[in-house]
Amino acid sequence: MAVIEVENLIKNYGGTNVVDGISFGVEAGEIFGIVGPNGAGKTTTVESVSGLRVPDGGSISVLGLDPQRDHYEVAQRVGVQLQESRLQDKIRVHEALELYASFYDTPADWGSLLDRLGLEGKANAGYSSLSGGQKQRLAIALALIGTPEIAILDELTTGLDPQARRDVWGTIEQIRDSGVTVVLVTHFMEEAERLCDRIMVVDQGRVLALDTPSGLIKRIGAGQVIRFRPSAEVADSELSALPGVEGVLRKGEMVEIAGTDDAVHAVTSFLAQRQIIAHELRIEQNSLEDAYLALTKEGK
Amino acid sequence: MSSSATMKLAQSETRLFLRDPIALFFGLVFPSVLLLALGYFFPGFGDEPAADLGGLRYIDTYTPIAIGLGLATLGLVTLPPILGTYRQFGILRRLRTTPVHPARLLWALMALHIVVAVLALIAAMTVSIVAFDVVFPENFVAFVLVFLLSAASIFSVGLLVGAIARTTSSGAAIGMSIYFPFLFLGGVWIPRQVMPDGLRFVSDLTPLGAAVGAMDDAWFSGTVDVAHLLVMAVYVVVVGLLAIRVFRWE
Repeated sequence: MAVIEVENLIKNYGGTNVVDGISFGVEAGEIFGIVGPNGAGKTTTVESVSGLRVPDGGSISVLGLDPQRDHYEVAQRVGVQLQESRLQDKIRVHEALELYASFYDTPADWGSLLDRLGLEGKANAGYSSLSGGQKQRLAIALALIGTPEIAILDELTTGLDPQARRDVWGTIEQIRDSGVTVVLVTHFMEEAERLCDRIMVVDQGRVLALDTPSGLIKRIGAGQVIRFRPSAEVADSELSALPGVEGVLRKGEMVEIAGTDDAVHAVTSFLAQRQIIAHELRIEQNSLEDAYLALTKEGK
Repeated sequence: MSSSATMKLAQSETRLFLRDPIALFFGLVFPSVLLLALGYFFPGFGDEPAADLGGLRYIDTYTPIAIGLGLATLGLVTLPPILGTYRQFGILRRLRTTPVHPARLLWALMALHIVVAVLALIAAMTVSIVAFDVVFPENFVAFVLVFLLSAASIFSVGLLVGAIARTTSSGAAIGMSIYFPFLFLGGVWIPRQVMPDGLRFVSDLTPLGAAVGAMDDAWFSGTVDVAHLLVMAVYVVVVGLLAIRVFRWE
Protein backbone atom coordinates (compact mmCIF):
# COMPACT_ATOMS: atom_id res chain seq x y z
CA MET A 1 0.00 0.00 0.00
CA ALA A 2 1.38 3.36 -0.99
CA VAL A 3 1.40 5.89 1.87
CA ILE A 4 2.81 8.69 -0.26
CA GLU A 5 1.92 9.19 -3.91
CA VAL A 6 3.45 12.01 -5.92
CA GLU A 7 2.37 12.57 -9.51
CA ASN A 8 4.25 14.85 -11.89
CA LEU A 9 5.26 17.32 -9.15
CA ILE A 10 6.42 20.72 -10.42
CA LYS A 11 7.89 23.54 -8.35
CA ASN A 12 9.15 26.70 -9.98
CA TYR A 13 11.53 29.26 -8.48
CA GLY A 14 12.41 32.37 -10.44
CA GLY A 15 11.48 30.94 -13.82
CA THR A 16 13.19 27.55 -13.50
CA ASN A 17 11.56 24.31 -12.46
CA VAL A 18 13.66 23.08 -9.54
CA VAL A 19 11.28 20.15 -9.43
CA ASP A 20 10.34 19.26 -12.97
CA GLY A 21 7.80 16.47 -13.12
CA ILE A 22 8.78 14.11 -10.32
CA SER A 23 6.57 11.06 -9.70
CA PHE A 24 7.04 8.34 -7.10
CA GLY A 25 5.25 6.26 -4.53
CA VAL A 26 6.38 5.28 -1.06
CA GLU A 27 5.20 1.93 0.31
CA ALA A 28 4.14 1.47 3.93
CA GLY A 29 6.94 0.21 6.14
CA GLU A 30 9.86 0.85 3.82
CA ILE A 31 12.85 3.17 4.06
CA PHE A 32 12.63 5.20 0.89
CA GLY A 33 15.79 7.07 -0.06
CA ILE A 34 16.06 10.22 -2.16
CA VAL A 35 19.57 10.92 -3.44
CA GLY A 36 20.99 13.40 -5.88
CA PRO A 37 23.52 16.22 -6.23
CA ASN A 38 23.08 19.56 -4.43
CA GLY A 39 20.26 21.56 -5.96
CA ALA A 40 18.68 18.47 -7.52
CA GLY A 41 15.30 19.25 -5.94
CA LYS A 42 15.41 16.66 -3.14
CA THR A 43 14.60 19.06 -0.31
CA THR A 44 11.95 20.91 -2.32
CA THR A 45 10.31 17.56 -3.04
CA VAL A 46 10.11 16.45 0.60
CA GLU A 47 9.12 19.95 1.72
CA SER A 48 6.22 19.80 -0.74
CA VAL A 49 5.25 16.42 0.66
CA SER A 50 5.37 17.84 4.22
CA GLY A 51 3.14 20.75 3.16
CA LEU A 52 5.79 23.46 3.55
CA ARG A 53 5.76 24.26 -0.18
CA VAL A 54 2.79 24.77 -2.43
CA PRO A 55 3.43 22.85 -5.66
CA ASP A 56 3.09 24.68 -8.98
CA GLY A 57 1.86 21.53 -10.65
CA GLY A 58 1.09 17.87 -10.13
CA SER A 59 -0.50 16.17 -7.18
CA ILE A 60 0.61 14.87 -3.80
CA SER A 61 -1.27 12.43 -1.64
CA VAL A 62 -0.03 11.58 1.85
CA LEU A 63 -1.98 8.85 3.65
CA GLY A 64 -4.76 9.66 1.21
CA LEU A 65 -4.72 13.33 2.24
CA ASP A 66 -3.66 16.59 0.59
CA PRO A 67 -0.75 18.16 2.53
CA GLN A 68 -2.07 21.67 1.74
CA ARG A 69 -5.81 21.25 2.23
CA ASP A 70 -5.57 18.73 5.08
CA HIS A 71 -2.51 20.27 6.71
CA TYR A 72 -3.61 19.63 10.29
CA GLU A 73 -4.38 15.95 9.74
CA VAL A 74 -1.19 15.36 7.71
CA ALA A 75 0.91 17.14 10.35
CA GLN A 76 -0.61 14.90 13.05
CA ARG A 77 0.47 11.78 11.17
CA VAL A 78 3.76 12.79 9.54
CA GLY A 79 6.87 13.65 11.57
CA VAL A 80 9.48 15.83 9.93
CA GLN A 81 13.14 16.58 10.56
CA LEU A 82 14.21 19.56 8.49
CA GLN A 83 17.60 20.30 7.06
CA GLU A 84 19.45 23.11 8.88
CA SER A 85 16.89 23.60 11.56
CA ARG A 86 17.80 23.94 15.22
CA LEU A 87 16.33 24.86 18.58
CA GLN A 88 16.86 27.73 21.00
CA ASP A 89 20.25 27.49 22.75
CA LYS A 90 18.76 27.70 26.21
CA ILE A 91 15.92 25.24 25.85
CA ARG A 92 16.40 21.95 27.70
CA VAL A 93 15.90 18.60 26.01
CA HIS A 94 12.85 17.56 28.04
CA GLU A 95 11.29 21.03 27.64
CA ALA A 96 11.52 20.81 23.86
CA LEU A 97 10.02 17.31 23.89
CA GLU A 98 7.17 18.27 26.24
CA LEU A 99 6.44 21.36 24.13
CA TYR A 100 6.29 19.42 20.87
CA ALA A 101 4.32 16.62 22.56
CA SER A 102 1.60 19.19 23.40
CA PHE A 103 1.07 19.79 19.65
CA TYR A 104 -0.19 16.27 18.95
CA ASP A 105 -3.34 14.28 19.72
CA THR A 106 -1.43 11.09 20.53
CA PRO A 107 2.02 12.06 21.80
CA ALA A 108 4.67 9.47 22.52
CA ASP A 109 6.20 9.12 25.97
CA TRP A 110 9.26 11.34 25.70
CA GLY A 111 11.18 9.47 28.38
CA SER A 112 11.17 6.18 26.52
CA LEU A 113 11.83 8.03 23.26
CA LEU A 114 15.01 9.46 24.78
CA ASP A 115 16.09 5.98 25.87
CA ARG A 116 15.44 4.57 22.41
CA LEU A 117 17.53 7.31 20.81
CA GLY A 118 20.43 6.94 23.21
CA LEU A 119 19.78 10.31 24.87
CA GLU A 120 18.99 8.92 28.32
CA GLY A 121 20.50 11.16 30.98
CA LYS A 122 20.29 14.18 28.63
CA ALA A 123 16.75 15.24 29.57
CA ASN A 124 18.00 18.22 31.55
CA ALA A 125 20.81 19.21 29.20
CA GLY A 126 20.58 22.55 27.43
CA TYR A 127 20.36 22.40 23.63
CA SER A 128 23.64 24.27 23.12
CA SER A 129 25.52 21.74 25.27
CA LEU A 130 24.57 18.80 23.00
CA SER A 131 27.01 17.38 20.45
CA GLY A 132 26.13 17.38 16.75
CA GLY A 133 25.02 13.75 16.90
CA GLN A 134 22.90 14.35 20.00
CA LYS A 135 21.22 17.35 18.35
CA GLN A 136 20.36 15.21 15.35
CA ARG A 137 18.99 12.45 17.56
CA LEU A 138 16.89 15.05 19.37
CA ALA A 139 15.61 16.24 15.97
CA ILE A 140 14.60 12.62 15.27
CA ALA A 141 12.93 12.44 18.68
CA LEU A 142 10.92 15.58 17.87
CA ALA A 143 9.96 14.07 14.51
CA LEU A 144 8.68 10.97 16.34
CA ILE A 145 7.06 12.66 19.35
CA GLY A 146 3.62 12.70 17.71
CA THR A 147 3.76 8.91 17.02
CA PRO A 148 3.71 9.48 13.25
CA GLU A 149 3.04 6.87 10.58
CA ILE A 150 5.63 8.48 8.31
CA ALA A 151 8.92 10.12 9.28
CA ILE A 152 10.61 12.44 6.77
CA LEU A 153 14.30 12.94 7.54
CA ASP A 154 16.26 15.46 5.46
CA GLU A 155 20.07 15.27 5.47
CA LEU A 156 20.12 13.85 8.92
CA THR A 157 23.76 12.82 9.07
CA THR A 158 25.40 15.75 7.26
CA GLY A 159 28.18 17.16 9.44
CA LEU A 160 28.33 14.17 11.79
CA ASP A 161 31.47 12.17 12.47
CA PRO A 162 31.50 8.54 11.24
CA GLN A 163 30.66 7.05 14.64
CA ALA A 164 27.74 9.41 15.22
CA ARG A 165 26.53 8.69 11.69
CA ARG A 166 26.56 4.95 12.33
CA ASP A 167 24.63 5.48 15.59
CA VAL A 168 21.98 7.46 13.72
CA TRP A 169 21.73 4.69 11.09
CA GLY A 170 20.97 2.22 13.85
CA THR A 171 18.26 4.57 15.08
CA ILE A 172 16.66 4.83 11.62
CA GLU A 173 16.54 1.03 11.30
CA GLN A 174 14.86 0.88 14.71
CA ILE A 175 12.25 3.40 13.57
CA ARG A 176 11.45 1.31 10.51
CA ASP A 177 11.31 -1.85 12.64
CA SER A 178 8.73 -0.14 14.86
CA GLY A 179 6.47 0.15 11.80
CA VAL A 180 7.08 3.76 10.76
CA THR A 181 7.62 4.45 7.07
CA VAL A 182 10.81 6.49 6.58
CA VAL A 183 11.63 8.92 3.78
CA LEU A 184 15.34 9.66 3.91
CA VAL A 185 17.05 12.43 1.94
CA THR A 186 20.78 11.97 1.84
CA HIS A 187 23.86 12.53 -0.24
CA PHE A 188 25.86 9.74 1.36
CA MET A 189 25.62 6.73 -0.94
CA GLU A 190 26.97 4.40 1.73
CA GLU A 191 24.08 5.49 3.94
CA ALA A 192 21.49 4.99 1.21
CA GLU A 193 22.91 1.58 0.25
CA ARG A 194 22.98 0.40 3.84
CA LEU A 195 19.54 1.68 4.92
CA CYS A 196 17.15 2.08 2.02
CA ASP A 197 14.78 -0.50 0.60
CA ARG A 198 14.33 1.62 -2.49
CA ILE A 199 16.18 4.65 -3.77
CA MET A 200 15.09 7.44 -6.08
CA VAL A 201 17.95 9.19 -7.87
CA VAL A 202 17.06 12.80 -8.66
CA ASP A 203 18.97 15.31 -10.74
CA GLN A 204 17.92 18.71 -12.11
CA GLY A 205 14.40 18.22 -10.83
CA ARG A 206 13.83 14.90 -12.59
CA VAL A 207 13.85 11.26 -11.56
CA LEU A 208 16.82 9.47 -13.11
CA ALA A 209 16.09 6.09 -11.59
CA LEU A 210 13.96 4.47 -8.89
CA ASP A 211 14.99 0.99 -7.81
CA THR A 212 16.39 -1.14 -5.01
CA PRO A 213 20.07 -0.49 -4.21
CA SER A 214 21.10 -3.77 -5.90
CA GLY A 215 18.83 -3.00 -8.84
CA LEU A 216 20.56 0.35 -9.33
CA ILE A 217 23.99 -1.27 -9.16
CA LYS A 218 22.98 -3.92 -11.71
CA ARG A 219 22.07 -1.20 -14.18
CA ILE A 220 25.71 -0.31 -14.65
CA GLY A 221 26.69 -3.98 -15.00
CA ALA A 222 27.71 -6.35 -12.26
CA GLY A 223 31.31 -5.21 -12.50
CA GLN A 224 34.15 -6.57 -10.39
CA VAL A 225 37.70 -5.39 -9.94
CA ILE A 226 40.21 -8.09 -8.87
CA ARG A 227 43.43 -6.67 -7.49
CA PHE A 228 46.49 -8.66 -6.34
CA ARG A 229 50.29 -8.95 -6.32
CA PRO A 230 51.29 -12.25 -8.02
CA SER A 231 54.08 -14.31 -6.40
CA ALA A 232 55.45 -15.17 -9.87
CA GLU A 233 55.38 -13.60 -13.33
CA VAL A 234 52.15 -13.92 -15.25
CA ALA A 235 51.52 -12.54 -18.74
CA ASP A 236 48.75 -10.00 -19.36
CA SER A 237 47.76 -11.86 -22.52
CA GLU A 238 47.07 -15.03 -20.56
CA LEU A 239 44.90 -13.15 -18.10
CA SER A 240 43.03 -11.29 -20.83
CA ALA A 241 42.16 -14.60 -22.47
CA LEU A 242 40.29 -15.85 -19.38
CA PRO A 243 36.48 -15.93 -19.56
CA GLY A 244 34.77 -12.83 -18.20
CA VAL A 245 37.89 -10.69 -18.10
CA GLU A 246 37.39 -7.30 -19.72
CA GLY A 247 40.69 -5.56 -19.04
CA VAL A 248 44.04 -6.00 -17.36
CA LEU A 249 46.02 -3.16 -15.84
CA ARG A 250 49.42 -3.03 -14.13
CA LYS A 251 50.12 -0.67 -11.28
CA GLY A 252 53.71 -1.34 -10.17
CA GLU A 253 53.73 -4.91 -8.89
CA MET A 254 49.94 -4.98 -8.64
CA VAL A 255 47.67 -6.49 -11.27
CA GLU A 256 44.16 -5.08 -11.69
CA ILE A 257 41.64 -7.13 -13.60
CA ALA A 258 38.23 -5.77 -14.47
CA GLY A 259 35.49 -8.14 -15.47
CA THR A 260 32.19 -9.86 -14.72
CA ASP A 261 31.28 -12.29 -11.94
CA ASP A 262 32.76 -15.14 -14.03
CA ALA A 263 36.16 -13.48 -14.05
CA VAL A 264 36.63 -14.02 -10.32
CA HIS A 265 36.36 -17.78 -10.59
CA ALA A 266 38.42 -17.90 -13.82
CA VAL A 267 41.28 -15.84 -12.41
CA THR A 268 41.50 -17.64 -9.07
CA SER A 269 41.47 -21.12 -10.64
CA PHE A 270 44.01 -20.02 -13.27
CA LEU A 271 46.35 -18.78 -10.53
CA ALA A 272 45.83 -21.97 -8.47
CA GLN A 273 46.71 -24.11 -11.48
CA ARG A 274 49.95 -22.23 -11.92
CA GLN A 275 50.59 -22.37 -8.19
CA ILE A 276 50.84 -18.60 -8.13
CA ILE A 277 49.87 -16.97 -4.87
CA ALA A 278 47.78 -13.82 -5.09
CA HIS A 279 49.15 -11.59 -2.34
CA GLU A 280 46.98 -8.72 -1.03
CA LEU A 281 44.03 -10.08 -2.99
CA ARG A 282 41.03 -7.70 -3.08
CA ILE A 283 37.83 -8.12 -4.99
CA GLU A 284 35.74 -5.00 -5.25
CA GLN A 285 32.21 -4.84 -6.54
CA ASN A 286 30.55 -1.83 -8.01
CA SER A 287 28.94 0.11 -5.21
CA LEU A 288 25.87 2.29 -5.18
CA GLU A 289 28.25 5.22 -5.40
CA ASP A 290 29.56 3.94 -8.78
CA ALA A 291 26.00 3.45 -9.96
CA TYR A 292 25.02 6.92 -8.73
CA LEU A 293 27.97 8.59 -10.45
CA ALA A 294 27.26 6.74 -13.68
CA LEU A 295 23.56 7.69 -13.54
CA THR A 296 24.06 11.36 -12.74
CA LYS A 297 26.78 11.68 -15.39
CA GLU A 298 24.46 10.15 -18.00
CA GLY A 299 21.80 12.65 -17.04
CA LYS A 300 24.04 15.65 -17.74
CA MET B 1 -4.34 20.00 22.11
CA SER B 2 -5.06 23.54 20.90
CA SER B 3 -5.23 25.65 24.06
CA SER B 4 -2.66 23.50 25.85
CA ALA B 5 -0.23 24.00 22.96
CA THR B 6 -0.57 27.78 23.22
CA MET B 7 -0.08 27.60 26.99
CA LYS B 8 2.97 25.39 26.53
CA LEU B 9 4.39 27.83 23.98
CA ALA B 10 3.85 30.76 26.35
CA GLN B 11 5.40 28.79 29.19
CA SER B 12 8.39 27.87 27.06
CA GLU B 13 8.92 31.46 25.89
CA THR B 14 8.65 32.71 29.47
CA ARG B 15 11.30 30.26 30.65
CA LEU B 16 13.64 31.26 27.82
CA PHE B 17 13.07 34.95 28.61
CA LEU B 18 13.88 34.37 32.28
CA ARG B 19 17.10 32.61 31.27
CA ASP B 20 18.31 35.67 29.37
CA PRO B 21 19.75 38.03 31.99
CA ILE B 22 20.19 40.91 29.54
CA ALA B 23 16.57 40.79 28.37
CA LEU B 24 15.47 40.43 31.95
CA PHE B 25 17.42 43.51 33.07
CA PHE B 26 16.52 45.78 30.17
CA GLY B 27 12.95 44.57 29.81
CA LEU B 28 11.94 44.39 33.43
CA VAL B 29 14.00 46.64 35.71
CA PHE B 30 15.70 49.19 33.47
CA PRO B 31 12.96 51.86 33.77
CA SER B 32 13.05 51.62 37.58
CA VAL B 33 16.85 51.70 37.68
CA LEU B 34 16.85 54.73 35.41
CA LEU B 35 14.38 56.57 37.67
CA LEU B 36 16.42 55.71 40.78
CA ALA B 37 19.64 56.85 39.12
CA LEU B 38 18.09 60.11 37.91
CA GLY B 39 16.34 60.84 41.20
CA TYR B 40 19.28 60.13 43.46
CA PHE B 41 22.29 61.14 41.40
CA PHE B 42 21.14 64.03 39.23
CA PRO B 43 21.16 67.27 41.18
CA GLY B 44 17.80 69.00 41.31
CA PHE B 45 15.81 66.15 39.73
CA GLY B 46 13.65 65.45 42.72
CA ASP B 47 13.53 68.91 44.31
CA GLU B 48 11.84 72.00 42.99
CA PRO B 49 9.10 72.24 40.39
CA ALA B 50 10.60 73.57 37.17
CA ALA B 51 8.92 76.43 35.35
CA ASP B 52 9.73 75.05 31.89
CA LEU B 53 7.99 71.75 32.79
CA GLY B 54 4.75 73.53 33.63
CA GLY B 55 5.24 73.29 37.37
CA LEU B 56 6.28 69.62 37.45
CA ARG B 57 9.57 68.37 38.84
CA TYR B 58 12.03 66.64 36.52
CA ILE B 59 11.41 63.31 38.27
CA ASP B 60 7.67 63.70 37.57
CA THR B 61 8.25 64.34 33.87
CA TYR B 62 10.72 61.48 33.63
CA THR B 63 8.32 58.91 35.08
CA PRO B 64 6.22 58.52 31.88
CA ILE B 65 9.42 58.92 29.85
CA ALA B 66 11.05 55.99 31.68
CA ILE B 67 7.89 53.92 31.29
CA GLY B 68 7.83 54.68 27.56
CA LEU B 69 11.52 53.84 27.31
CA GLY B 70 10.75 50.48 28.91
CA LEU B 71 8.14 49.80 26.23
CA ALA B 72 10.53 50.78 23.45
CA THR B 73 13.26 48.55 24.91
CA LEU B 74 10.96 45.53 24.99
CA GLY B 75 9.46 46.21 21.58
CA LEU B 76 12.55 47.24 19.64
CA VAL B 77 15.53 45.75 21.49
CA THR B 78 14.20 42.47 22.91
CA LEU B 79 11.52 41.33 20.47
CA PRO B 80 13.08 41.71 16.98
CA PRO B 81 16.25 39.64 17.64
CA ILE B 82 14.11 36.82 19.08
CA LEU B 83 12.07 36.72 15.87
CA GLY B 84 15.25 36.99 13.77
CA THR B 85 16.72 34.06 15.69
CA TYR B 86 13.60 31.94 15.28
CA ARG B 87 13.67 32.56 11.55
CA GLN B 88 17.44 32.01 11.26
CA PHE B 89 17.31 28.76 13.26
CA GLY B 90 14.36 27.45 11.23
CA ILE B 91 12.23 27.27 14.39
CA LEU B 92 9.25 28.92 12.67
CA ARG B 93 9.71 26.67 9.62
CA ARG B 94 9.90 23.60 11.86
CA LEU B 95 6.66 24.61 13.60
CA ARG B 96 4.93 24.78 10.23
CA THR B 97 5.39 21.01 9.88
CA THR B 98 3.46 20.42 13.14
CA PRO B 99 -0.29 20.73 13.68
CA VAL B 100 0.34 24.04 15.46
CA HIS B 101 0.63 27.14 13.28
CA PRO B 102 3.70 29.25 14.15
CA ALA B 103 1.41 32.30 14.55
CA ARG B 104 0.65 30.82 17.96
CA LEU B 105 4.30 31.30 18.86
CA LEU B 106 4.04 34.97 17.84
CA TRP B 107 0.98 35.51 20.01
CA ALA B 108 2.71 33.75 22.91
CA LEU B 109 5.72 36.05 22.47
CA MET B 110 3.55 39.19 22.25
CA ALA B 111 1.58 38.17 25.34
CA LEU B 112 4.83 37.56 27.22
CA HIS B 113 6.14 40.98 26.24
CA ILE B 114 2.94 42.68 27.36
CA VAL B 115 3.06 40.90 30.72
CA VAL B 116 6.71 41.91 31.20
CA ALA B 117 5.80 45.48 30.20
CA VAL B 118 3.06 45.60 32.84
CA LEU B 119 5.45 44.26 35.50
CA ALA B 120 8.05 46.86 34.49
CA LEU B 121 5.31 49.51 34.71
CA ILE B 122 4.33 48.43 38.23
CA ALA B 123 7.98 48.51 39.31
CA ALA B 124 8.60 51.95 37.82
CA MET B 125 5.36 53.40 39.28
CA THR B 126 6.25 52.03 42.70
CA VAL B 127 9.72 53.55 42.58
CA SER B 128 8.39 56.97 41.53
CA ILE B 129 5.55 57.09 44.00
CA VAL B 130 7.35 55.56 46.99
CA ALA B 131 10.87 56.93 46.57
CA PHE B 132 10.15 60.31 44.99
CA ASP B 133 6.61 61.22 46.10
CA VAL B 134 5.31 61.38 42.56
CA VAL B 135 1.52 61.75 42.69
CA PHE B 136 -0.70 58.75 41.92
CA PRO B 137 -2.07 59.07 38.32
CA GLU B 138 -4.92 61.60 38.25
CA ASN B 139 -6.94 59.41 35.91
CA PHE B 140 -5.72 55.89 36.59
CA VAL B 141 -8.12 54.08 34.23
CA ALA B 142 -7.26 56.40 31.36
CA PHE B 143 -3.58 55.97 32.18
CA VAL B 144 -3.78 52.16 32.05
CA LEU B 145 -5.70 52.22 28.76
CA VAL B 146 -3.20 54.69 27.29
CA PHE B 147 -0.36 52.45 28.48
CA LEU B 148 -1.85 49.39 26.77
CA LEU B 149 -2.42 51.30 23.53
CA SER B 150 1.16 52.59 23.76
CA ALA B 151 2.45 49.04 24.19
CA ALA B 152 0.40 47.86 21.20
CA SER B 153 1.64 50.66 18.93
CA ILE B 154 5.32 50.29 19.87
CA PHE B 155 5.22 46.49 19.71
CA SER B 156 3.62 46.75 16.26
CA VAL B 157 6.76 48.52 15.05
CA GLY B 158 8.91 45.83 16.70
CA LEU B 159 6.79 43.12 15.12
CA LEU B 160 7.32 44.68 11.70
CA VAL B 161 11.09 44.65 12.25
CA GLY B 162 10.89 41.06 13.47
CA ALA B 163 8.68 40.16 10.52
CA ILE B 164 11.45 40.79 8.02
CA ALA B 165 14.71 40.28 9.99
CA ARG B 166 16.49 37.21 8.62
CA THR B 167 18.86 36.74 11.53
CA THR B 168 19.42 37.56 15.19
CA SER B 169 21.89 40.28 14.34
CA SER B 170 19.82 41.91 11.60
CA GLY B 171 16.87 41.97 14.02
CA ALA B 172 19.06 43.65 16.62
CA ALA B 173 20.58 46.11 14.14
CA ILE B 174 17.30 47.26 12.57
CA GLY B 175 15.66 47.42 16.00
CA MET B 176 18.47 49.57 17.42
CA SER B 177 18.44 51.93 14.45
CA ILE B 178 14.81 52.71 15.24
CA TYR B 179 15.18 52.55 19.03
CA PHE B 180 17.52 55.51 19.46
CA PRO B 181 15.64 58.00 17.24
CA PHE B 182 12.44 56.91 19.02
CA LEU B 183 14.04 57.53 22.43
CA PHE B 184 15.19 60.96 21.31
CA LEU B 185 11.74 61.87 20.00
CA GLY B 186 10.13 60.32 23.09
CA GLY B 187 11.95 62.93 25.17
CA VAL B 188 14.60 60.80 26.89
CA TRP B 189 17.28 63.46 26.32
CA ILE B 190 15.07 66.55 25.96
CA PRO B 191 11.63 66.19 27.58
CA ARG B 192 8.80 66.93 25.17
CA GLN B 193 7.73 69.95 27.30
CA VAL B 194 10.98 71.77 26.47
CA MET B 195 11.25 70.61 22.84
CA PRO B 196 11.00 73.33 20.16
CA ASP B 197 7.52 73.26 18.57
CA GLY B 198 8.75 71.74 15.29
CA LEU B 199 10.53 68.92 17.08
CA ARG B 200 7.56 68.25 19.32
CA PHE B 201 5.34 68.02 16.25
CA VAL B 202 7.61 65.30 14.84
CA SER B 203 7.61 63.65 18.27
CA ASP B 204 3.80 63.65 18.26
CA LEU B 205 3.85 61.60 15.06
CA THR B 206 6.01 58.80 16.49
CA PRO B 207 4.49 56.05 18.63
CA LEU B 208 6.83 56.70 21.55
CA GLY B 209 6.31 60.50 21.40
CA ALA B 210 2.54 60.07 21.34
CA ALA B 211 2.76 57.43 24.08
CA VAL B 212 4.83 59.61 26.44
CA GLY B 213 2.64 62.63 25.71
CA ALA B 214 -0.58 60.73 26.40
CA MET B 215 0.76 59.00 29.54
CA ASP B 216 2.01 62.35 30.87
CA ASP B 217 -1.43 63.95 30.30
CA ALA B 218 -3.38 61.10 31.89
CA TRP B 219 -1.02 60.95 34.87
CA PHE B 220 -0.64 64.59 35.76
CA SER B 221 -3.71 66.39 34.36
CA GLY B 222 -6.15 63.53 34.04
CA THR B 223 -6.89 64.45 30.43
CA VAL B 224 -6.31 62.65 27.16
CA ASP B 225 -5.41 64.27 23.85
CA VAL B 226 -7.35 62.42 21.14
CA ALA B 227 -4.60 63.22 18.61
CA HIS B 228 -2.14 61.08 20.59
CA LEU B 229 -4.59 58.19 20.69
CA LEU B 230 -5.22 58.52 16.98
CA VAL B 231 -1.51 58.43 16.13
CA MET B 232 -1.02 55.30 18.21
CA ALA B 233 -4.13 53.62 16.79
CA VAL B 234 -2.86 54.27 13.27
CA TYR B 235 0.43 52.53 14.13
CA VAL B 236 -1.40 49.55 15.57
CA VAL B 237 -3.64 49.16 12.53
CA VAL B 238 -1.33 50.14 9.68
CA VAL B 239 2.05 48.91 10.94
CA GLY B 240 0.57 45.91 12.73
CA LEU B 241 -1.33 44.75 9.64
CA LEU B 242 1.70 45.43 7.47
CA ALA B 243 3.79 43.27 9.81
CA ILE B 244 1.30 40.44 9.51
CA ARG B 245 1.22 40.82 5.72
CA VAL B 246 4.98 40.82 5.15
CA PHE B 247 5.78 38.31 7.90
CA ARG B 248 8.16 35.64 6.63
CA TRP B 249 8.06 32.24 8.26
CA GLU B 250 11.49 31.39 6.84
